[in-house]
Amino acid sequence: MKRVLTYIISVAAILFVWEMASIAVNLINHAAILPGPFDALSQVVKNAAELQRNFAASAWRLILAILISLAAAMPLGLVIGREPTLDRFFSPIIYITYAIPQVALILFLFVVFGTGSATKVAMVTLALFYQILVSARGAAKNIDEEYVTSVLSAGATRWQVYRHVVLPASLPQILTSVRVSIGLGIAFLYIAETRAALGTGLGSFINKHMLFSRDRAFAGIVAMAFLGLLLYMAVDVIERIICRWKYVKRRPLK
Amino acid sequence: MINVDAVTIDYGHGEQTVRAVENVSFCLEKGKSLALIGPSGCGKTSLLFALSGLLHPRSGTIRIDDEEVNTPRRDVALILQNAGLLPWKTVWQNANLSLLLNGDFPQQNAAEVLAHLGLDNVMTRFPAELSEGMKRRVGIARALSTSPSVLLMDEPLASLDTLTREKIQNLFLNLWHEHGFSLILVTHNIEEAAFLGSRIIVFTDRPARVSATIDNPQMGTLDYRGSTEFQGVMSQLREALEA
Repeated sequence: MKRVLTYIISVAAILFVWEMASIAVNLINHAAILPGPFDALSQVVKNAAELQRNFAASAWRLILAILISLAAAMPLGLVIGREPTLDRFFSPIIYITYAIPQVALILFLFVVFGTGSATKVAMVTLALFYQILVSARGAAKNIDEEYVTSVLSAGATRWQVYRHVVLPASLPQILTSVRVSIGLGIAFLYIAETRAALGTGLGSFINKHMLFSRDRAFAGIVAMAFLGLLLYMAVDVIERIICRWKYVKRRPLK
Repeated sequence: MINVDAVTIDYGHGEQTVRAVENVSFCLEKGKSLALIGPSGCGKTSLLFALSGLLHPRSGTIRIDDEEVNTPRRDVALILQNAGLLPWKTVWQNANLSLLLNGDFPQQNAAEVLAHLGLDNVMTRFPAELSEGMKRRVGIARALSTSPSVLLMDEPLASLDTLTREKIQNLFLNLWHEHGFSLILVTHNIEEAAFLGSRIIVFTDRPARVSATIDNPQMGTLDYRGSTEFQGVMSQLREALEA
Protein backbone atom coordinates (compact mmCIF):
# COMPACT_ATOMS: atom_id res chain seq x y z
CA MET A 1 0.00 0.00 0.00
CA LYS A 2 2.84 2.33 0.96
CA ARG A 3 4.53 1.42 -2.31
CA VAL A 4 1.42 2.30 -4.36
CA LEU A 5 1.08 5.62 -2.52
CA THR A 6 4.74 6.43 -3.29
CA TYR A 7 4.11 5.74 -6.99
CA ILE A 8 1.00 7.98 -6.97
CA ILE A 9 2.93 10.84 -5.34
CA SER A 10 5.79 10.42 -7.85
CA VAL A 11 3.42 10.48 -10.85
CA ALA A 12 1.67 13.58 -9.43
CA ALA A 13 5.06 15.30 -9.02
CA ILE A 14 6.05 14.49 -12.62
CA LEU A 15 2.72 15.77 -13.96
CA PHE A 16 3.09 18.97 -11.93
CA VAL A 17 6.63 19.68 -13.15
CA TRP A 18 5.60 18.86 -16.73
CA GLU A 19 2.59 21.23 -16.53
CA MET A 20 4.78 24.02 -15.15
CA ALA A 21 7.40 23.44 -17.85
CA SER A 22 4.71 23.46 -20.51
CA ILE A 23 3.26 26.78 -19.27
CA ALA A 24 6.74 28.34 -19.07
CA VAL A 25 7.94 27.13 -22.52
CA ASN A 26 4.70 28.18 -24.24
CA LEU A 27 4.72 31.60 -22.55
CA ILE A 28 8.33 32.30 -23.52
CA ASN A 29 7.76 31.24 -27.13
CA HIS A 30 4.24 32.72 -27.44
CA ALA A 31 3.19 29.47 -29.08
CA ALA A 32 1.95 26.00 -28.07
CA ILE A 33 5.29 24.19 -28.38
CA LEU A 34 5.27 21.87 -25.37
CA PRO A 35 1.91 20.21 -24.73
CA GLY A 36 0.89 19.84 -21.12
CA PRO A 37 0.31 16.45 -19.50
CA PHE A 38 -3.48 16.69 -19.70
CA ASP A 39 -3.38 17.42 -23.46
CA ALA A 40 -1.12 14.42 -23.95
CA LEU A 41 -3.23 12.17 -21.71
CA SER A 42 -6.41 13.14 -23.54
CA GLN A 43 -4.66 12.15 -26.78
CA VAL A 44 -3.80 8.80 -25.18
CA VAL A 45 -7.54 8.20 -24.75
CA LYS A 46 -8.46 9.48 -28.24
CA ASN A 47 -5.76 7.41 -29.95
CA ALA A 48 -6.11 4.38 -27.71
CA ALA A 49 -6.47 1.84 -30.52
CA GLU A 50 -3.48 3.09 -32.55
CA LEU A 51 -1.35 3.51 -29.43
CA GLN A 52 -2.26 0.04 -28.23
CA ARG A 53 -1.11 -1.47 -31.55
CA ASN A 54 2.18 0.43 -31.46
CA PHE A 55 2.66 -0.22 -27.75
CA ALA A 56 2.30 -3.97 -28.37
CA ALA A 57 4.84 -3.84 -31.22
CA SER A 58 7.40 -1.93 -29.13
CA ALA A 59 6.81 -4.04 -26.01
CA TRP A 60 7.25 -7.24 -27.96
CA ARG A 61 10.53 -6.04 -29.50
CA LEU A 62 11.91 -4.82 -26.20
CA ILE A 63 10.98 -7.97 -24.26
CA LEU A 64 12.39 -10.19 -27.01
CA ALA A 65 15.63 -8.18 -27.04
CA ILE A 66 15.93 -8.43 -23.23
CA LEU A 67 15.36 -12.19 -23.34
CA ILE A 68 17.85 -12.76 -26.18
CA SER A 69 20.54 -10.63 -24.52
CA LEU A 70 19.95 -12.36 -21.18
CA ALA A 71 20.13 -15.80 -22.75
CA ALA A 72 23.36 -14.95 -24.58
CA ALA A 73 25.17 -12.61 -22.21
CA MET A 74 24.34 -14.08 -18.81
CA PRO A 75 25.90 -17.55 -19.26
CA LEU A 76 28.83 -16.08 -21.18
CA GLY A 77 29.46 -13.43 -18.50
CA LEU A 78 29.23 -15.95 -15.67
CA VAL A 79 31.66 -18.36 -17.33
CA ILE A 80 34.14 -15.60 -18.23
CA GLY A 81 33.93 -14.28 -14.67
CA ARG A 82 34.67 -17.69 -13.12
CA GLU A 83 37.24 -19.13 -15.54
CA PRO A 84 40.50 -17.12 -15.43
CA THR A 85 41.78 -18.54 -18.76
CA LEU A 86 38.62 -17.47 -20.60
CA ASP A 87 38.68 -14.13 -18.79
CA ARG A 88 42.22 -13.42 -20.00
CA PHE A 89 41.16 -14.16 -23.58
CA PHE A 90 37.73 -12.50 -23.66
CA SER A 91 38.19 -9.42 -21.46
CA PRO A 92 40.24 -7.42 -24.02
CA ILE A 93 37.70 -8.34 -26.71
CA ILE A 94 34.82 -7.19 -24.51
CA TYR A 95 36.47 -3.88 -23.63
CA ILE A 96 37.42 -3.09 -27.24
CA THR A 97 34.01 -3.93 -28.71
CA TYR A 98 32.13 -2.33 -25.79
CA ALA A 99 33.69 1.00 -26.71
CA ILE A 100 32.14 0.91 -30.20
CA PRO A 101 28.97 3.05 -30.16
CA GLN A 102 26.34 0.48 -31.08
CA VAL A 103 24.06 3.16 -32.49
CA ALA A 104 26.64 3.73 -35.23
CA LEU A 105 25.88 0.25 -36.51
CA ILE A 106 22.21 0.92 -37.12
CA LEU A 107 22.51 1.49 -40.86
CA PHE A 108 24.64 -1.62 -41.16
CA LEU A 109 21.92 -3.59 -39.32
CA PHE A 110 19.27 -2.26 -41.72
CA VAL A 111 21.40 -3.53 -44.60
CA VAL A 112 21.81 -6.95 -42.98
CA PHE A 113 18.33 -7.50 -41.53
CA GLY A 114 16.15 -5.20 -43.64
CA THR A 115 13.77 -2.58 -42.25
CA GLY A 116 11.49 -4.94 -40.31
CA SER A 117 11.32 -5.87 -36.65
CA ALA A 118 14.50 -7.99 -36.82
CA THR A 119 16.73 -4.90 -37.12
CA LYS A 120 15.01 -3.15 -34.22
CA VAL A 121 15.31 -6.20 -32.01
CA ALA A 122 18.94 -6.70 -33.08
CA MET A 123 19.76 -3.07 -32.30
CA VAL A 124 18.35 -3.23 -28.78
CA THR A 125 19.85 -6.69 -28.19
CA LEU A 126 23.28 -5.40 -29.14
CA ALA A 127 23.03 -2.53 -26.64
CA LEU A 128 21.73 -4.69 -23.79
CA PHE A 129 24.11 -7.58 -24.45
CA TYR A 130 27.14 -5.65 -23.17
CA GLN A 131 25.34 -4.29 -20.11
CA ILE A 132 24.37 -7.76 -19.00
CA LEU A 133 27.65 -9.38 -20.04
CA VAL A 134 29.80 -6.94 -18.07
CA SER A 135 27.51 -7.12 -15.07
CA ALA A 136 27.33 -10.96 -15.05
CA ARG A 137 31.11 -11.19 -15.38
CA GLY A 138 31.63 -8.77 -12.48
CA ALA A 139 29.09 -10.57 -10.29
CA ALA A 140 30.67 -13.98 -10.96
CA LYS A 141 34.16 -12.64 -10.21
CA ASN A 142 33.14 -11.27 -6.82
CA ILE A 143 31.44 -14.34 -5.40
CA ASP A 144 32.51 -15.17 -1.86
CA GLU A 145 34.80 -18.17 -2.26
CA GLU A 146 33.42 -19.70 0.94
CA TYR A 147 30.21 -20.55 -0.94
CA VAL A 148 32.21 -22.32 -3.66
CA THR A 149 34.34 -24.19 -1.11
CA SER A 150 31.18 -25.15 0.73
CA VAL A 151 29.58 -26.90 -2.26
CA LEU A 152 32.87 -28.36 -3.51
CA SER A 153 33.48 -29.97 -0.13
CA ALA A 154 29.98 -31.46 -0.36
CA GLY A 155 31.00 -33.12 -3.63
CA ALA A 156 29.72 -30.63 -6.23
CA THR A 157 30.78 -30.92 -9.87
CA ARG A 158 31.81 -27.82 -11.81
CA TRP A 159 28.31 -27.60 -13.35
CA GLN A 160 26.76 -27.83 -9.87
CA VAL A 161 28.96 -24.97 -8.66
CA TYR A 162 27.45 -22.84 -11.44
CA ARG A 163 23.91 -24.01 -10.74
CA HIS A 164 23.92 -23.79 -6.95
CA VAL A 165 26.36 -20.91 -6.33
CA VAL A 166 27.44 -18.82 -9.32
CA LEU A 167 23.98 -18.30 -10.84
CA PRO A 168 21.99 -17.58 -7.66
CA ALA A 169 24.76 -15.40 -6.20
CA SER A 170 24.96 -13.33 -9.40
CA LEU A 171 21.24 -12.98 -10.13
CA PRO A 172 20.59 -9.86 -8.01
CA GLN A 173 23.36 -7.93 -9.79
CA ILE A 174 22.25 -9.20 -13.19
CA LEU A 175 18.66 -8.15 -12.52
CA THR A 176 19.89 -4.70 -11.50
CA SER A 177 21.67 -4.46 -14.85
CA VAL A 178 18.44 -5.56 -16.58
CA ARG A 179 16.65 -2.69 -14.80
CA VAL A 180 19.28 -0.22 -16.00
CA SER A 181 19.07 -1.78 -19.45
CA ILE A 182 15.33 -1.10 -19.75
CA GLY A 183 15.93 2.65 -20.03
CA LEU A 184 18.79 2.12 -22.45
CA GLY A 185 16.75 -0.41 -24.42
CA ILE A 186 13.85 2.01 -24.79
CA ALA A 187 16.24 4.71 -26.04
CA PHE A 188 17.75 2.34 -28.61
CA LEU A 189 14.32 1.05 -29.61
CA TYR A 190 13.16 4.61 -30.18
CA ILE A 191 16.17 5.30 -32.42
CA ALA A 192 15.68 2.06 -34.35
CA GLU A 193 11.94 2.63 -34.81
CA THR A 194 12.35 6.21 -35.98
CA ARG A 195 15.00 5.21 -38.54
CA ALA A 196 12.59 2.97 -40.45
CA ALA A 197 10.61 5.03 -42.98
CA LEU A 198 7.40 3.16 -42.34
CA GLY A 199 6.52 0.82 -39.58
CA THR A 200 4.91 0.13 -36.27
CA GLY A 201 6.11 0.91 -32.78
CA LEU A 202 5.92 3.85 -30.43
CA GLY A 203 9.12 5.38 -31.85
CA SER A 204 7.55 5.46 -35.28
CA PHE A 205 4.28 6.88 -33.84
CA ILE A 206 6.13 9.67 -32.00
CA ASN A 207 8.24 10.51 -35.02
CA LYS A 208 5.20 10.64 -37.30
CA HIS A 209 3.33 13.17 -35.11
CA MET A 210 6.14 15.26 -33.63
CA LEU A 211 6.02 18.05 -36.24
CA PHE A 212 2.32 18.61 -36.83
CA SER A 213 0.46 17.00 -33.94
CA ARG A 214 2.67 17.33 -30.92
CA ASP A 215 -0.10 16.39 -28.46
CA ARG A 216 -0.28 12.99 -30.10
CA ALA A 217 3.53 12.65 -30.17
CA PHE A 218 3.60 13.28 -26.44
CA ALA A 219 0.84 10.71 -25.99
CA GLY A 220 3.34 8.29 -27.58
CA ILE A 221 6.07 9.44 -25.18
CA VAL A 222 3.72 8.81 -22.25
CA ALA A 223 3.05 5.32 -23.62
CA MET A 224 6.78 4.69 -23.93
CA ALA A 225 7.37 5.79 -20.33
CA PHE A 226 4.52 3.52 -19.27
CA LEU A 227 6.19 0.62 -21.12
CA GLY A 228 9.42 1.26 -19.22
CA LEU A 229 7.56 1.45 -15.91
CA LEU A 230 5.72 -1.81 -16.60
CA LEU A 231 8.94 -3.66 -17.43
CA TYR A 232 10.69 -2.17 -14.43
CA MET A 233 7.89 -3.39 -12.17
CA ALA A 234 7.94 -6.80 -13.86
CA VAL A 235 11.68 -7.16 -13.08
CA ASP A 236 10.92 -6.17 -9.48
CA VAL A 237 8.27 -8.88 -9.19
CA ILE A 238 10.55 -11.47 -10.82
CA GLU A 239 13.36 -10.56 -8.42
CA ARG A 240 11.07 -10.88 -5.41
CA ILE A 241 10.14 -14.38 -6.58
CA ILE A 242 13.51 -15.79 -7.66
CA CYS A 243 15.66 -13.91 -5.13
CA ARG A 244 13.23 -14.31 -2.23
CA TRP A 245 16.17 -14.71 0.17
CA LYS A 246 17.13 -11.06 -0.41
CA TYR A 247 13.80 -9.81 0.88
CA VAL A 248 13.47 -11.78 4.12
CA LYS A 249 13.39 -9.85 7.37
CA ARG A 250 16.94 -9.71 8.66
CA ARG A 251 15.84 -10.04 12.25
CA PRO A 252 17.79 -12.92 13.73
CA LEU A 253 15.67 -15.62 15.36
CA LYS A 254 16.88 -16.73 18.74
CA MET B 1 42.79 -44.00 10.66
CA ILE B 2 44.03 -40.74 9.15
CA ASN B 3 47.69 -40.59 8.07
CA VAL B 4 49.34 -37.34 7.11
CA ASP B 5 52.83 -38.06 5.88
CA ALA B 6 55.42 -35.32 5.21
CA VAL B 7 52.87 -32.98 3.65
CA THR B 8 54.07 -29.73 2.09
CA ILE B 9 51.61 -27.29 0.51
CA ASP B 10 52.62 -24.44 -1.80
CA TYR B 11 50.62 -21.72 -3.54
CA GLY B 12 51.69 -20.18 -6.84
CA HIS B 13 54.48 -21.14 -9.19
CA GLY B 14 58.15 -20.31 -9.77
CA GLU B 15 59.48 -17.29 -7.95
CA GLN B 16 56.01 -16.40 -6.65
CA THR B 17 55.65 -19.66 -4.74
CA VAL B 18 54.41 -19.21 -1.18
CA ARG B 19 54.84 -22.13 1.19
CA ALA B 20 51.82 -22.59 3.47
CA VAL B 21 52.62 -25.94 5.10
CA GLU B 22 56.00 -27.63 5.42
CA ASN B 23 56.70 -31.27 6.08
CA VAL B 24 53.82 -31.96 8.44
CA SER B 25 53.18 -35.52 9.61
CA PHE B 26 50.72 -36.95 12.10
CA CYS B 27 48.22 -39.74 12.41
CA LEU B 28 44.83 -39.90 14.09
CA GLU B 29 43.13 -43.09 15.21
CA LYS B 30 39.50 -43.67 14.26
CA GLY B 31 37.04 -41.85 16.52
CA LYS B 32 39.67 -39.65 18.18
CA SER B 33 39.83 -35.86 18.13
CA LEU B 34 42.68 -33.61 17.13
CA ALA B 35 43.00 -29.84 17.42
CA LEU B 36 45.39 -27.96 15.14
CA ILE B 37 46.36 -24.64 16.67
CA GLY B 38 48.64 -21.89 15.49
CA PRO B 39 48.76 -18.18 14.68
CA SER B 40 46.09 -16.80 12.34
CA GLY B 41 47.04 -17.33 8.70
CA CYS B 42 49.83 -19.80 9.50
CA GLY B 43 48.58 -22.42 7.04
CA LYS B 44 46.37 -24.68 9.19
CA THR B 45 43.33 -24.11 6.96
CA SER B 46 45.37 -25.17 3.92
CA LEU B 47 46.17 -28.42 5.69
CA LEU B 48 42.49 -28.92 6.52
CA PHE B 49 41.51 -28.28 2.88
CA ALA B 50 44.09 -30.84 1.80
CA LEU B 51 42.55 -33.32 4.25
CA SER B 52 39.14 -32.66 2.70
CA GLY B 53 40.52 -33.22 -0.82
CA LEU B 54 40.01 -29.62 -1.96
CA LEU B 55 43.74 -28.91 -2.18
CA HIS B 56 46.58 -31.07 -3.44
CA PRO B 57 49.85 -31.07 -1.46
CA ARG B 58 53.02 -30.32 -3.38
CA SER B 59 54.59 -33.34 -1.72
CA GLY B 60 53.66 -35.93 0.87
CA THR B 61 50.50 -37.99 1.15
CA ILE B 62 47.24 -37.90 3.07
CA ARG B 63 45.44 -41.20 3.59
CA ILE B 64 42.09 -41.89 5.21
CA ASP B 65 41.44 -45.58 5.91
CA ASP B 66 44.38 -46.46 3.64
CA GLU B 67 42.96 -44.57 0.66
CA GLU B 68 44.85 -41.57 -0.63
CA VAL B 69 42.81 -38.36 -0.52
CA ASN B 70 42.71 -36.62 -3.91
CA THR B 71 39.14 -35.37 -4.13
CA PRO B 72 36.36 -34.66 -1.61
CA ARG B 73 35.09 -37.90 -0.08
CA ARG B 74 31.53 -38.67 0.93
CA ASP B 75 32.57 -39.87 4.37
CA VAL B 76 34.46 -36.66 5.15
CA ALA B 77 32.48 -33.53 6.07
CA LEU B 78 33.86 -30.03 6.34
CA ILE B 79 32.44 -27.21 8.47
CA LEU B 80 33.70 -23.80 7.39
CA GLN B 81 34.41 -20.65 9.39
CA ASN B 82 31.04 -19.00 8.80
CA ALA B 83 29.20 -22.32 8.48
CA GLY B 84 29.39 -22.00 4.68
CA LEU B 85 25.64 -21.64 4.34
CA LEU B 86 24.29 -20.52 0.98
CA PRO B 87 22.12 -17.42 1.61
CA TRP B 88 19.73 -18.31 -1.25
CA LYS B 89 18.88 -21.73 0.12
CA THR B 90 16.58 -22.43 3.05
CA VAL B 91 17.74 -24.15 6.23
CA TRP B 92 16.34 -27.43 4.88
CA GLN B 93 18.11 -27.05 1.51
CA ASN B 94 21.37 -26.05 3.20
CA ALA B 95 21.25 -29.01 5.57
CA ASN B 96 20.47 -31.29 2.63
CA LEU B 97 23.14 -29.89 0.33
CA SER B 98 24.94 -33.22 -0.07
CA LEU B 99 21.66 -34.92 -0.92
CA LEU B 100 20.87 -32.13 -3.36
CA LEU B 101 24.24 -32.54 -5.08
CA ASN B 102 24.68 -36.29 -4.98
CA GLY B 103 21.10 -37.45 -4.78
CA ASP B 104 21.68 -40.64 -2.83
CA PHE B 105 21.76 -39.79 0.83
CA PRO B 106 18.81 -40.81 3.01
CA GLN B 107 16.63 -37.75 3.36
CA GLN B 108 15.32 -38.47 6.85
CA ASN B 109 18.88 -38.31 8.11
CA ALA B 110 19.00 -34.52 7.69
CA ALA B 111 15.49 -34.18 9.11
CA GLU B 112 16.51 -36.15 12.19
CA VAL B 113 19.68 -34.13 12.67
CA LEU B 114 17.81 -30.82 12.26
CA ALA B 115 15.22 -31.92 14.82
CA HIS B 116 17.97 -33.09 17.17
CA LEU B 117 19.65 -29.67 16.92
CA GLY B 118 16.36 -27.87 17.58
CA LEU B 119 16.06 -26.53 14.07
CA ASP B 120 12.89 -28.28 12.96
CA ASN B 121 10.81 -25.10 13.32
CA VAL B 122 13.03 -23.01 11.04
CA MET B 123 13.45 -25.38 8.10
CA THR B 124 11.83 -22.99 5.60
CA ARG B 125 13.79 -19.94 6.79
CA PHE B 126 16.78 -18.42 5.03
CA PRO B 127 20.17 -17.99 6.79
CA ALA B 128 19.70 -14.20 7.02
CA GLU B 129 16.79 -14.83 9.37
CA LEU B 130 18.88 -16.86 11.83
CA SER B 131 21.13 -15.89 14.71
CA GLU B 132 24.85 -16.71 14.40
CA GLY B 133 24.47 -19.65 16.78
CA MET B 134 21.63 -21.11 14.70
CA LYS B 135 23.67 -20.72 11.52
CA ARG B 136 26.47 -22.77 13.09
CA ARG B 137 23.95 -25.44 14.06
CA VAL B 138 22.68 -25.59 10.46
CA GLY B 139 26.30 -25.99 9.34
CA ILE B 140 26.67 -28.89 11.80
CA ALA B 141 23.39 -30.41 10.56
CA ARG B 142 24.68 -30.25 6.99
CA ALA B 143 27.92 -31.97 7.98
CA LEU B 144 26.18 -34.69 9.99
CA SER B 145 23.47 -35.32 7.38
CA THR B 146 25.92 -37.56 5.49
CA SER B 147 26.87 -39.57 8.61
CA PRO B 148 30.57 -38.80 8.11
CA SER B 149 33.36 -40.89 9.58
CA VAL B 150 35.61 -37.81 9.65
CA LEU B 151 34.49 -34.30 10.58
CA LEU B 152 36.84 -31.43 9.69
CA MET B 153 36.18 -28.00 11.18
CA ASP B 154 37.83 -24.75 10.18
CA GLU B 155 37.52 -22.32 13.09
CA PRO B 156 33.81 -23.08 13.25
CA LEU B 157 33.16 -20.86 16.26
CA ALA B 158 35.10 -17.77 15.28
CA SER B 159 33.15 -14.52 15.76
CA LEU B 160 30.66 -16.05 18.23
CA ASP B 161 30.08 -14.57 21.66
CA THR B 162 31.54 -16.50 24.61
CA LEU B 163 28.32 -18.10 25.82
CA THR B 164 27.19 -19.23 22.36
CA ARG B 165 30.71 -20.54 21.69
CA GLU B 166 30.62 -22.62 24.86
CA LYS B 167 27.16 -23.97 24.01
CA ILE B 168 28.27 -25.06 20.54
CA GLN B 169 31.52 -26.53 21.92
CA ASN B 170 29.38 -28.64 24.28
CA LEU B 171 27.20 -29.62 21.34
CA PHE B 172 30.28 -30.71 19.34
CA LEU B 173 31.46 -32.80 22.26
CA ASN B 174 28.09 -34.54 22.67
CA LEU B 175 27.81 -35.18 18.92
CA TRP B 176 31.36 -36.54 18.83
CA HIS B 177 30.49 -39.05 21.56
CA GLU B 178 27.15 -39.86 19.95
CA HIS B 179 28.31 -40.32 16.34
CA GLY B 180 31.83 -41.59 16.91
CA PHE B 181 33.43 -39.70 14.02
CA SER B 182 37.08 -38.68 13.97
CA LEU B 183 37.28 -34.96 14.60
CA ILE B 184 39.93 -32.54 13.33
CA LEU B 185 39.49 -28.97 14.47
CA VAL B 186 41.48 -25.99 13.25
CA THR B 187 41.45 -23.12 15.70
CA HIS B 188 43.52 -20.26 17.06
CA ASN B 189 41.62 -20.36 20.34
CA ILE B 190 43.57 -22.05 23.17
CA GLU B 191 40.50 -22.82 25.26
CA GLU B 192 38.70 -24.43 22.30
CA ALA B 193 41.70 -26.58 21.42
CA ALA B 194 42.04 -27.75 25.06
CA PHE B 195 38.33 -28.55 25.36
CA LEU B 196 37.85 -30.43 22.08
CA GLY B 197 41.24 -31.94 21.19
CA SER B 198 42.29 -35.26 22.71
CA ARG B 199 45.57 -34.41 21.04
CA ILE B 200 46.69 -30.91 20.10
CA ILE B 201 49.27 -30.03 17.48
CA VAL B 202 50.83 -26.59 17.72
CA PHE B 203 52.06 -25.00 14.48
CA THR B 204 54.68 -22.36 13.84
CA ASP B 205 53.84 -19.21 11.88
CA ARG B 206 53.82 -19.53 8.09
CA PRO B 207 54.87 -21.93 6.77
CA ALA B 208 53.06 -24.15 9.25
CA ARG B 209 55.44 -26.68 10.82
CA VAL B 210 54.73 -28.84 13.84
CA SER B 211 56.32 -27.13 16.84
CA ALA B 212 54.75 -29.20 19.63
CA THR B 213 52.27 -32.02 20.20
CA ILE B 214 50.32 -32.10 23.45
CA ASP B 215 48.28 -35.07 24.63
CA ASN B 216 45.03 -34.22 26.38
CA PRO B 217 43.60 -37.58 27.47
CA GLN B 218 41.34 -36.20 30.23
CA MET B 219 39.14 -34.23 27.84
CA GLY B 220 35.72 -35.48 26.80
CA THR B 221 33.34 -34.33 29.52
CA LEU B 222 31.34 -31.11 29.78
CA ASP B 223 32.78 -30.27 33.20
CA TYR B 224 36.38 -30.63 31.94
CA ARG B 225 36.55 -26.82 31.65
CA GLY B 226 36.56 -26.49 35.46
CA SER B 227 39.36 -29.01 36.01
CA THR B 228 42.99 -28.31 36.88
CA GLU B 229 44.06 -30.60 33.97
CA PHE B 230 42.27 -28.26 31.59
CA GLN B 231 44.09 -25.26 33.04
CA GLY B 232 47.37 -27.20 32.79
CA VAL B 233 46.84 -28.00 29.10
CA MET B 234 45.96 -24.36 28.43
CA SER B 235 49.24 -23.26 30.09
CA GLN B 236 51.23 -25.78 28.04
CA LEU B 237 49.55 -24.51 24.87
CA ARG B 238 50.25 -20.91 25.73
CA GLU B 239 53.93 -21.70 26.33
CA ALA B 240 54.19 -23.67 23.09
CA LEU B 241 52.61 -20.84 21.10
CA GLU B 242 54.84 -18.22 22.69
CA ALA B 243 58.01 -20.26 22.16
